[in-house]
Amino acid sequence: MPSLLILMPLAGIMILNFAFGRTMKRSAFWFAVVLFLIQIILAIFHHPVFWSNELEMVDRFFNVSFSMDYISFIALLSIGIVSLVSLLVARCSIDNEEDRFNFINLLVIASIGMSGIVMVKDVFSLYVFLEITAAASFILIAFWRKRRALEGAFKYILLSAIATIMMLTAIALLIVLAGDPSFSVIKSALGRSSSSFMVTLAVGIFICGLFIKGGLVPFHGWLPDAYSSAPAPVAILLAGIVTKVVGIYTIMRVMISLFGFSASMGRVFMFIGALSILVGAFAALGQRDFKRMLAYSSISQIGYILLGFGTGTTIGILGAVFHFFNHAIFKSLLFVNSAAVEDSVGTTDMDKMGGLASRMPITGATSVIALLSACGIPPLAGFWSKLIIILALWKSGHVAYTLIAVFASVLTLAYLLSMQRRTFFGKLADGLEDIKEAHTRIRVASIILAAITVLVGVFFPLMFDNFILPVKDILLR
Amino acid sequence: MNELYWRIFLNFSFFIIMLFIAGFYCILVTRNLIRVMIGLELLIKAVTLFLVVACYVSGQAALGQALIITLIVMEVVMIAVLAGVVLSIYRHNNSLDARRLRELKG
Repeated sequence: MPSLLILMPLAGIMILNFAFGRTMKRSAFWFAVVLFLIQIILAIFHHPVFWSNELEMVDRFFNVSFSMDYISFIALLSIGIVSLVSLLVARCSIDNEEDRFNFINLLVIASIGMSGIVMVKDVFSLYVFLEITAAASFILIAFWRKRRALEGAFKYILLSAIATIMMLTAIALLIVLAGDPSFSVIKSALGRSSSSFMVTLAVGIFICGLFIKGGLVPFHGWLPDAYSSAPAPVAILLAGIVTKVVGIYTIMRVMISLFGFSASMGRVFMFIGALSILVGAFAALGQRDFKRMLAYSSISQIGYILLGFGTGTTIGILGAVFHFFNHAIFKSLLFVNSAAVEDSVGTTDMDKMGGLASRMPITGATSVIALLSACGIPPLAGFWSKLIIILALWKSGHVAYTLIAVFASVLTLAYLLSMQRRTFFGKLADGLEDIKEAHTRIRVASIILAAITVLVGVFFPLMFDNFILPVKDILLR
Repeated sequence: MNELYWRIFLNFSFFIIMLFIAGFYCILVTRNLIRVMIGLELLIKAVTLFLVVACYVSGQAALGQALIITLIVMEVVMIAVLAGVVLSIYRHNNSLDARRLRELKG
């Protein structure tokens, strides 16, 4: 029944938009909350009754079929949590009811697209869902039609369209080679294919397109602009999950179930990953804007995921998947805090802030938790995933990359601590005397995320055994 | 893939590559946002043609039809959003010059 995760929200959106006028519009918020909660609960318990049974009639009628594995569960869980948080923040940062209704529609469409990406079985559906997610996020970035947001959106659309074109070219090449768009047929066709030039070309173009979508370093130009100009709830959604699912998750998916992992691709991934880590961290050191610094930090953390994945060993991929989840949580927490600060102070320029922790204790405290998790301080969640990635690098004999990973952790600490000091610690800046703590819903969102970070860190064995370790069954197939 | 299909594929590939070059040239050279959109359209047309040829030579014409129609729909959505963004930029700046999109940097 996995197709219900796509069809239910779609039907819900249609009903909300076509019928019953205002009363339905007011209930849109609760509809979306219930939807995301259902998704979170289904992903946490991942009971086979739901995931492996197929509703024959529905599936045949809509001609869809999806498959699930343990990486998909992790991704679905992250999508549910981050979308829910973004919704909570939007509830108080978007005042107008009509605008909020539009926002909720787009948010649900984006989450449909992402749920589709994590469950597809053929390349063309993958393209369609990528494009659904991308179209929804373009509109979300330009939501208020502010000048800066339009500029960020334009850059994002242009680069994303070029990435899409590259991926479609690769898909066409794969269809020539295999004659069918499904993952399993293409994988077996690539295994016995003779024309290695076309295979290399297709794989290279496809992966480059995904690098653009994921904002990895040689292709990262659009990412800080889009993140820092987007409205607060949209920045949470984009940084927390969208670029990760369309970029890094899709890379993992196509490498595991489409192209098959090869050592040469692994070396490319590790190089790009290490480059992203360093460039992202150094660029973040020099930022004045809160959201822009977090955007560069995001590039750096995505580099860790790719570095872990590039080792190609089981433990490295487990670390990458775990860091995928942890990063979704702590980066959304940092963006929720930036939303709270933006809501109260009215700017994201860190030079104009200072001493906010005395006025906004919860935001300040959760921000400390998030930054400690981001730079890998035990016992928080980020420590374990970084430890696994570094262990995997060391065990596979990549000493230089291990040193880069450790050194960049220190850099992460440096820029995030400077953020914390300039924004929350120290003396209260002039003109901020009557600042109040953020709205209750933002506080609830940040407390939930901080609790997840702490609990996953403390109960690490439970999380690791139930969610991360089963991933290795997929790799053996 | 037999000889005839292979030749068809190569002939079309030549024109598709020309279209790609034209599209990229258009995007890289121009400073006008509308022309950037036109360049993007050219690229999408090139890739659509490539998919048509790919499905034809691999003997999957029916699959090709389904793919192309979906592709056209998705492409229209994207271009519509892009046109909306360009229109709003024009309303803010009163010009379509890409050089004025320089507020975000660092």
